[in-house]
Amino acid sequence: MLLTEAEVKALTLKILGMVKADDASASVGSNKQSHLRFAANNVLTSGTRGGRNANVTVWIGGKRGSASTNDLDDANLRAMVDQAEKIASTSPPDREYVPTLSKQTYRPTSGYVEATANLSLADRARQIGAILAEFEKAGVIGAGFHSANSQTGGSATKNGNFDYERSTGVGLSVTARTPDGTSSGYFLRSHHDIAKLDTMRIAREAIRKAVEGKNARAIEPGVYTVVLEPQAVADLLGGFGFGFFNARTADEGRGIFSAPGGKNKLGEKIFDERISIYSDPWNAELPGSQSSQGGIPAQMVKMVENGVLKNLVYNRYWAQQKKVDPTPGPVNTIIESNGPTQTLEQMIASTDRGILVGRFWYIRQTDPRTASSTGLTRDGVWMIENGKIAYPLKNFRFNQSTVKMLAPGNVLAMSKPERVGSSEGGGGSLLPAMKLKEFNFTSQSEAV
Amino acid sequence: MIFSRRDFIRTAGIAFGAAATLPSWVLDAQAMTAAYLEVNKNALADAALSTAKRLGASYADIRINRYRLEAINSRERQIQNVSSGQNFGFGVRVLINGTWGFAGSPIVTLDEVKRVTTEAAAIAKANASITKKKIELVPTPKVTANWKSSFERDPFDIPTEEKTAWLLKLNEAALSVKGINFVNSQLAFVNEQKFLATSDGSRIDQYIIRTNPSFTATAVGKGDFQSVNSLREPQQIGYEYLSKHDWAAEAKLAAEHAVMKLSAPSVTPGKYDLVLHPSHLFLTIHESVGHPTELDRALLWEANYAGTSFLTPDKTGKLQFGSKMVNFVADRTQPQGMATVGYDDEAVPGQSWHLVKDGVFVDWQTTRDTAKLVGKNKSYGCLHADSWGSVPFPRMPNVSLTPSKDAVTQDDLVAGVDKGILIYGRGSYSIDQQRYNFQFGGQTFWEIKNGKVAGMLRDVAYQSRTTDFWGSLDGLGGQATYEVPGSPNDGKGEPGQSNAVSHGCPPARFRQINVLNTASGTGAGQMMEDHE
Repeated sequence: MLLTEAEVKALTLKILGMVKADDASASVGSNKQSHLRFAANNVLTSGTRGGRNANVTVWIGGKRGSASTNDLDDANLRAMVDQAEKIASTSPPDREYVPTLSKQTYRPTSGYVEATANLSLADRARQIGAILAEFEKAGVIGAGFHSANSQTGGSATKNGNFDYERSTGVGLSVTARTPDGTSSGYFLRSHHDIAKLDTMRIAREAIRKAVEGKNARAIEPGVYTVVLEPQAVADLLGGFGFGFFNARTADEGRGIFSAPGGKNKLGEKIFDERISIYSDPWNAELPGSQSSQGGIPAQMVKMVENGVLKNLVYNRYWAQQKKVDPTPGPVNTIIESNGPTQTLEQMIASTDRGILVGRFWYIRQTDPRTASSTGLTRDGVWMIENGKIAYPLKNFRFNQSTVKMLAPGNVLAMSKPERVGSSEGGGGSLLPAMKLKEFNFTSQSEAV
Repeated sequence: MIFSRRDFIRTAGIAFGAAATLPSWVLDAQAMTAAYLEVNKNALADAALSTAKRLGASYADIRINRYRLEAINSRERQIQNVSSGQNFGFGVRVLINGTWGFAGSPIVTLDEVKRVTTEAAAIAKANASITKKKIELVPTPKVTANWKSSFERDPFDIPTEEKTAWLLKLNEAALSVKGINFVNSQLAFVNEQKFLATSDGSRIDQYIIRTNPSFTATAVGKGDFQSVNSLREPQQIGYEYLSKHDWAAEAKLAAEHAVMKLSAPSVTPGKYDLVLHPSHLFLTIHESVGHPTELDRALLWEANYAGTSFLTPDKTGKLQFGSKMVNFVADRTQPQGMATVGYDDEAVPGQSWHLVKDGVFVDWQTTRDTAKLVGKNKSYGCLHADSWGSVPFPRMPNVSLTPSKDAVTQDDLVAGVDKGILIYGRGSYSIDQQRYNFQFGGQTFWEIKNGKVAGMLRDVAYQSRTTDFWGSLDGLGGQATYEVPGSPNDGKGEPGQSNAVSHGCPPARFRQINVLNTASGTGAGQMMEDHE
């Protein structure tokens, strides 16, 4: 079902061969997804689907049109091209047109693993069966989601570029609840290599949190020192990427990195000096795409180094306007400490009074000017007293500026980063646990 | 869980253990031609259903669906992109030994239908060995039907240049306002052509059109920027939606309000009475009423992602959800409602029923595999999949707040407030996984002083607890104030699916709600709620 490089090349060139327009890019992709969802200690739904798609964007006299289809036979590809050209012919000029890329050289990444693509349904049923048995043994009510996907795809331009790559992913998230509904635990991990996904560890961590979270106490909301597990950091910061570091938004005066007079804050120290945020396509634990922003060969890009804003993301049009090179990324998100790291246990041990957070939920921006968000803790919050986890807590709502959270002086410690994905979506990142001096919990939540 | 409305056409990646932000079919293809792919749907259905039966299925269905999307994006005086596309495929669901199996494919041929049905059966059989409790379906009458949503002009028949001109005119109206720097606008149209055949003998064709115009006007001040979005929401309606209202005048007004917001005073946190306009209230209904009355959440089926519910089956008919004025009706027949259908994805007819009656929680949103678990012998028809390739599962119908029988106006509601805030538009929405604690923002905020609307405020959000909030309602607008706003991107389930849904409502008044200031990044003023 997945298209090979030769098939993708043949299809994209076929599409370009049908194009009469001055300039064009064509892309073709295929994917395979499968999942098993379980809840209330039972199998809920399970399925597979295949997918494929073709897309063409054309420019006629500087006017742009775009069309797509998921039927790749000649008649439908022809209809797709005709549709795009019809749209272009009746559209106003594309004022942001930049000619498509000429031939580029890509350095491949390693995000495809055959064993992940060929996941066995029987093996998965056995693994989930073992987890369901573990729930029964622990006396909890469990739910979870196992999913795997693989995709191949590529694009070609009328100016001679061709780019093909493939990737795989597999993930498992598990929630365990106590039968009385007073405690809940959660754990999620994902990887491109199914051999690296320890499904039983994920289930046991969720169960442990549920069991240890019983008899949670309510305490007053307020400003607390917090230790955030990597999952909580992923939920808050996993979305760092193109949008957050968008140069045009900053230059137009409507972003967190805007400076007066149509300028931006490049070069300013905004974050704690130990923080580095970067993208690395060839990171073995978190391989990114070999191409960024529609075909630019990806490279390592440091967004923040020693707390200083080193790069913003310029697309090809905005780079041309600002007379800079377009940014070859980001294609993934890695946050790490420049200095010595601490383990989660060391962070707890060095805390006299603070709160340990395992997960955040339903995070929504409340003010783009300060990068402020609101959201809630979920599935595991604990009081830390005198260097030890003292007792479980009920949940809180928070209101917090991300930038203030990572500001100089507020970051007390970071661990080595590990691969973790946001529980609200957004894929994987390499993120540390963090100890923060101040974090604003603003109300209690009785939800479990 | 609601995603940004601008995600209506934005492709997003699927995350593990979490949700995508778009209908799954958008992930495969965005936009194209009107050429219909001719297939003999009944022959394909016969093949799927007979194969499923031969492999031991006690129930099976096949959906053969085609989706079309057209989207046009603009900013200021330029069109950024016009795209159109189509996505076609089928999905087969089988129930074997009380366990579901599903498979889908974009290759719509007889051989592929047989292969995919066999694959779905193999999945069900592989998982049946670890199933602890068998799925049981309530019956539904066999039906043959052809249903079309209500629209006057099919947007897919309208020339592109008419649409781009409409957007540029809208932008020009906003840009005519002194002090406005940016305007982004978008038109998106969706057409779903759905065929369903079930092993119960039902065969149903449905044709659905949705139209979504939207814009954002932004003003940049000294070290500051403020935006105001369109207050009208997408509907299940045709291209006529664009001429039913003066959108350009609304864009101009939004631009004026964005400029005004730059110098508006920041709200002082505290307790206020709130009058919530339908353009805002609909999402509060969605989050605090629509989701907790989903039965699958109460059954813990969503525990791993969207969450459970503070409502449980034992509270049915007993729990005081709101004040006696509060009536919520679930409705899959409501005109312009985006969740309105002739039939759901397992052949249950669209219907309407009370979820909350005279303030008391009385009923659930159900499907054929959940109804029996609360002692029902029929489904309310809430099964839906966002693609041929997605597993259908319980999704929200339109959930609407019944207006007052009296001719109450919004001004009448405002007149009853000494110190309050009038809120328009959808802003930031966040609610916990059991739907107790929420915090909602808006687009524009107006101070109410001594029964009259005074000046604009900014940086407003309110935080409350669901039953306290609805318990504080003491005023509803009449039928003339009733609107049907909706959201195209309600995310739920794993793998994540997106649902389009509307929430009809009049303006409503709530007493003594906790208001906080969002500008400080600390939610100042919020530390006063304690529900333990």
